[in-house]
Amino acid sequence: MSKIHSAEKLKKQLLLDLIFRKTTWFFTLIVFALLAVIIGSLLIGSMPAIKAFGFDFLFSADWNPVTEKFGALVPIIGTLITSMIALSIGIPVSFGIALFLTELSPPWLRRPLGTAIELLAGIPSIIYGMWGLFVFAPLFAQYIQPWLQNTLGEVPGIGLLFEGSFMGIGMLTAGIILAIMVIPFIAAVMRDVFEVVPPMLKESAYALGATTWEVIWNVVLPYTKIGVVGGIMLGFGRALGETMAVTFVIGNAHQLHASLFMPGNSIASALANEFTEADGELYTSALIELGLILFFITFVVLACSKMLLAQLRKREGNAS
Amino acid sequence: MIPTLYTRRRIVNVINLTFSILAMVFGLFWLFWILFTLFDKGLSGISIALFTQMTPAPGSTGGLLNAIAGSLVMVTLATLIGTPIGIMAGTYLAEFGQRGWLASTTRFINDILLSAPSIVIGLFIYTVYVAKVGHFSGWAGALALSLIVIPVVVRTTEDMLRLIPDSLREAAAALGAPQWKVVTLITWRASKVGIMTGILLAIARISGETAPLLFTALNNQFWSADMNRPMANLPVVIFQFAMSPYEYWQELAWTGALLITLSVLGLNIAARFFLRKHTLSN
Amino acid sequence: MNINHTQAAVSKVTIHDLNFFYDRYHALKSINMSILEKKITAFIGPSGCGKSTLLRTFNRMYQLYPSQEARGEIKIDGANILDKKQDLNILRAKVGMVFQKPTPFPMSIFDNVAFGVKLYETLNRCELAERVEWALHKAALWEEVKDKLNQSGTSLSGGQQQRLCIARTIAVKPEVVLLDEPTSALDPISTARIEDLIFKLKEDYTIVIVTHNMQQAARVSDYTAYMYLGELIEFGDTDTIFTTPKQKATEDYITGKFG
Repeated sequence: MSKIHSAEKLKKQLLLDLIFRKTTWFFTLIVFALLAVIIGSLLIGSMPAIKAFGFDFLFSADWNPVTEKFGALVPIIGTLITSMIALSIGIPVSFGIALFLTELSPPWLRRPLGTAIELLAGIPSIIYGMWGLFVFAPLFAQYIQPWLQNTLGEVPGIGLLFEGSFMGIGMLTAGIILAIMVIPFIAAVMRDVFEVVPPMLKESAYALGATTWEVIWNVVLPYTKIGVVGGIMLGFGRALGETMAVTFVIGNAHQLHASLFMPGNSIASALANEFTEADGELYTSALIELGLILFFITFVVLACSKMLLAQLRKREGNAS
Repeated sequence: MIPTLYTRRRIVNVINLTFSILAMVFGLFWLFWILFTLFDKGLSGISIALFTQMTPAPGSTGGLLNAIAGSLVMVTLATLIGTPIGIMAGTYLAEFGQRGWLASTTRFINDILLSAPSIVIGLFIYTVYVAKVGHFSGWAGALALSLIVIPVVVRTTEDMLRLIPDSLREAAAALGAPQWKVVTLITWRASKVGIMTGILLAIARISGETAPLLFTALNNQFWSADMNRPMANLPVVIFQFAMSPYEYWQELAWTGALLITLSVLGLNIAARFFLRKHTLSN
Repeated sequence: MNINHTQAAVSKVTIHDLNFFYDRYHALKSINMSILEKKITAFIGPSGCGKSTLLRTFNRMYQLYPSQEARGEIKIDGANILDKKQDLNILRAKVGMVFQKPTPFPMSIFDNVAFGVKLYETLNRCELAERVEWALHKAALWEEVKDKLNQSGTSLSGGQQQRLCIARTIAVKPEVVLLDEPTSALDPISTARIEDLIFKLKEDYTIVIVTHNMQQAARVSDYTAYMYLGELIEFGDTDTIFTTPKQKATEDYITGKFG
């Protein structure tokens, strides 16, 4: 037969195999290297600022382009506080939504409602920003902020958080908008882990006469806690990095206040507002260092989230 | 004793389940309010002029043509750059990467990149490209967007390829097909719909992104076909117009916002619809 | 199995014209039966005959799934539990259930057993500990776990986990205990231990056990019900069913002509 043909063809195919495999490997290497390249370039860009300010950069609240003194404290705190506010509102609401979708909702309603919540995740950040500034903030200033000041504002201690005039924008507003943005992410993860709880486990609890809430709180939640925490960290990571929505409503002030009604700054919003106007190497470099810090914080949070969710998947694999 | 304990439990149950319903309503409330606002403020601006005239200077009228065109160009370019990289890397992870350090670390890195702040991506492109060439450009914008496309496509490609049962691959191999043919002719074809969905989702994602374009493509008031110059795009135009004190600009911003949201949501729904139809028919 | 004929046999659960539907599928057809108090009744039959379905009507577990529906009468101590006014949680506190696979809750052994008790009784710490110990004794698990009550329930072996689930069910002092193929996931030694346990539990509880293992039914139960395709074919005391069944269908199944 055509033995010679076969041998040649075979060699060619093996060569093509090798080329194909090496090509895919190469592109994977690109992705692999991206992270290092990003961190590397940000480091290089931040070098002037790192040399000028050192570790004090993290703790200084200065921000003066004229005297060229910069500090990351205000944006870092702003980023952390707005994200915390977002989580404190977002976690219970996401939990409620996941509970509803898995236990309470009639089956025919589940998919449309689930899709609706996912659409919330798809709305671009800038839309949230515009809506937040032009629609939400005025109403917030007119109705909610006075109410907050009259109720929680009277409580000693906590009251400090709600002092000041009703501008509508500020840290609290930014936190609330962020909450709405992260809810779909956290709720989606929670719903996914709630759905794979073995029905027999839930039935065992019902069989003892437990109410629906008791089954969720005492059995489902502990069973899924690793996934739930992973989902929360995912939401946290997104909140930390959100730019446009925060930029519109946070007020862009490089000041620290106790009150959440006051304007502030987050790392992302500082970058968005100032980067293109920044002149001078030190100014630009300080901003780049801010970006590096943000990337580092989100990296840590996301890495933890990934590891938790991976641990959960491994546990599922072992259990079944 | 039993009645009161039980009653208390029932009350707690009802309270918490009611809260759950309220949470659902809470979520839906914001969705509908935002959508309503977009239509309310943006719909009136939809006109032929919107699609035929350039972004206006303060005080004059105009449309969003250059912004829309710029966005379309950069999104298309970003997709063209990012998709092949994403598909090839995703293929490696699914087909060749069961063991080994490269696959598992890249998967991890990919997931980090997937959720990384997009403004940092923009910053990165600025430092390695814009700063080096000395000016903003459409290329920079497309590059930044492509870095957002890549992780999405890698993830969905790998997930979709993994769904294909090994028996299909084995059947092709049993006929004597070399591995590269098994992957390209059989496995890719089988997961075509899933991979397309991933690309659609990536497009939806980058269509709405503003932050990565702020320091790369910047914006351009006029029509420009030169990729080497700052390029007009919808998100940054909306940002500038919305924050401005000019009423006409703000109206245009709302209309632009409506346009973006409709495209993004439309792409999202289309992607999910096709994916569901495909998985159901399997 | 000798049945004590000197005691008057009282019906604990009386089923009258029970029909069950999974959506449109008619799964149980006109079941009439009396489960006697403090006796062990076994439901046997080939796969899909409806024995688990029937068992799950006794604590209305099917109610968790909207497409499932039961019609007819199931009277426990004279009260029809299928009545809409019947409170499900209270019913389930009275009628306990153990499942096919061991289902320890993600909590400590102590908390597992105490879970049901804490729902319905306010006991102080001492009383609760006593109840937990009592239940674990009853489930023949105390000796093995008394030093590790704080360890997770999932750290036990399969057989131990199932005995834990039994202890958990017993701890609330139900009146009826339902066992849905409790040993199908266990090895023969664990199975034997649990069968002994079930036999002892008969002194205090009315027990209904579903099993696909005929020999188990013969070993353990006082009364046996043979079901086929949703119908109750024959019901009687175990000796009779297994030695001189009245129906040919029953005899065919018992002798292994099909199954």
